[in-house]
Amino acid sequence: MRYIFWIVMLWFPLSAFSQGSIGSFTGDESVFYAQTKQVNQFFMRFNGEEDVQGKRYYPGNPAYRDLKARKKYLNMLFDNSSPVISSDLKFVFIDDALNKKNPAFLDFYSQGWYAEVAASFFYKKEKVNIILYLKIEKQLKGYKWVISNVYFDRFQSWFTHLNDTVNLKYFIHPMSHELDFMNLHKAFREPENLDFYFEKEYQPDMTALFVMEMKNKNLSFIAVNNVKFHVFQVPNWYFELSWFNRNNVNSGWLISNVLRVNEVEKKNLLRNYTHVN
Amino acid sequence: MRKILSLIILASLFAVSNRVAAQDNLSPQRKQAIDSLALEKVRDLSKYISIIGDKKTPWSDAQRVIERAVELFMENSEIGVSSLSRQDVNYYKVREYFDRLMQLNYDRVTIDWYKIQYVSDLVRQPDGTYVGVITIYQRFQAYDKEKGLVYEDTTKKDITVYVKRKETQIGGRLIGFWDVMLGDIRVKETSK
Repeated sequence: MRYIFWIVMLWFPLSAFSQGSIGSFTGDESVFYAQTKQVNQFFMRFNGEEDVQGKRYYPGNPAYRDLKARKKYLNMLFDNSSPVISSDLKFVFIDDALNKKNPAFLDFYSQGWYAEVAASFFYKKEKVNIILYLKIEKQLKGYKWVISNVYFDRFQSWFTHLNDTVNLKYFIHPMSHELDFMNLHKAFREPENLDFYFEKEYQPDMTALFVMEMKNKNLSFIAVNNVKFHVFQVPNWYFELSWFNRNNVNSGWLISNVLRVNEVEKKNLLRNYTHVN
Repeated sequence: MRKILSLIILASLFAVSNRVAAQDNLSPQRKQAIDSLALEKVRDLSKYISIIGDKKTPWSDAQRVIERAVELFMENSEIGVSSLSRQDVNYYKVREYFDRLMQLNYDRVTIDWYKIQYVSDLVRQPDGTYVGVITIYQRFQAYDKEKGLVYEDTTKKDITVYVKRKETQIGGRLIGFWDVMLGDIRVKETSK
């Protein structure tokens, strides 16, 4: 049933591309038309700002952001094979996003969405995987992607004792100040236990470690392996956007996970994507 | 000659202007005009790729076409290629990519381009240049004299397009025009 919309719409003449086509190959293109080919197109389809063939609607056009069309589009923007997205959850999400009084729209230029880039690097000659989180930032009259956080399991392993409150062995005793902290050298003798000596609220800055290791030439970039996006622009919701490379109309950039989140949960999730001191 | 002609057409389309500040936001009409120009460059690129990959193209002609193709790109542009069997992306300089395409070890190669194309929004980067992405799809088939068709794939090509407002003097008048150059290309094999 959900494919009928695409099948019907794809029968429409292909003259929408008034600018002339690049090619002339007459193979079946229906999958490519239906496929959400770019993240940009996902935003357009989510917002109801283009027709099924990718022709833009602009403000003033009655079809621009039309709620009925958006409802059809939104149903198509989910990964239908996902076991984590129930039809009930999808229904509530769409209902919320298309709230008549206050419908939600995605905005490329606004905060509240992050790219997650899984990349391979050489770390001291060993091939490793590192995740980079990026967000859009304004600079002068333009925009750019900036790194907002880094995840590398090797960095994490240096901080396994953080926030420990039960250890009775590794601490700098409370009268050390009277001795000009001469006992610090004992604390630093075992670097593997160094992280016991930090304040309990301390949050290590993985981005700083990443910069240090890159600048010291211990880390070198190889390639990007995978990209996905985390979106917080729909009030009370979080969703994940992933690329699905498959030969059917439910392909391209699609919602691969969706969660209803309150402000506290949202804050906790955001901590993954952007470094907080 | 073609370049000069398109420059004049574009200049007349966008009128004489020193008011570069007024170009901050692209109107839908202007965006469509720039899209057409960008698509023209992509169309040129697709033709060049077909010629370079064609085994019937003499070596010297292919070299000339490679030169023309490279001229479409910004300096240091790269082509990142991945396939269904290999998740890692291999990065090639544009010229290296064309050289490899020319030297593919098949008896016959056919390169076809699907009619579909998708043009993104143009987003301004900090230096004032607008950047967009055009997505096109290519079918590649390689043949062996004895075995016939030995390899085929369909790839999605996401092509970066840079659009910059420039000015030139024609007949003593300062004419503003939009210069379009291609940038990095991401090539992904599509699922069979």
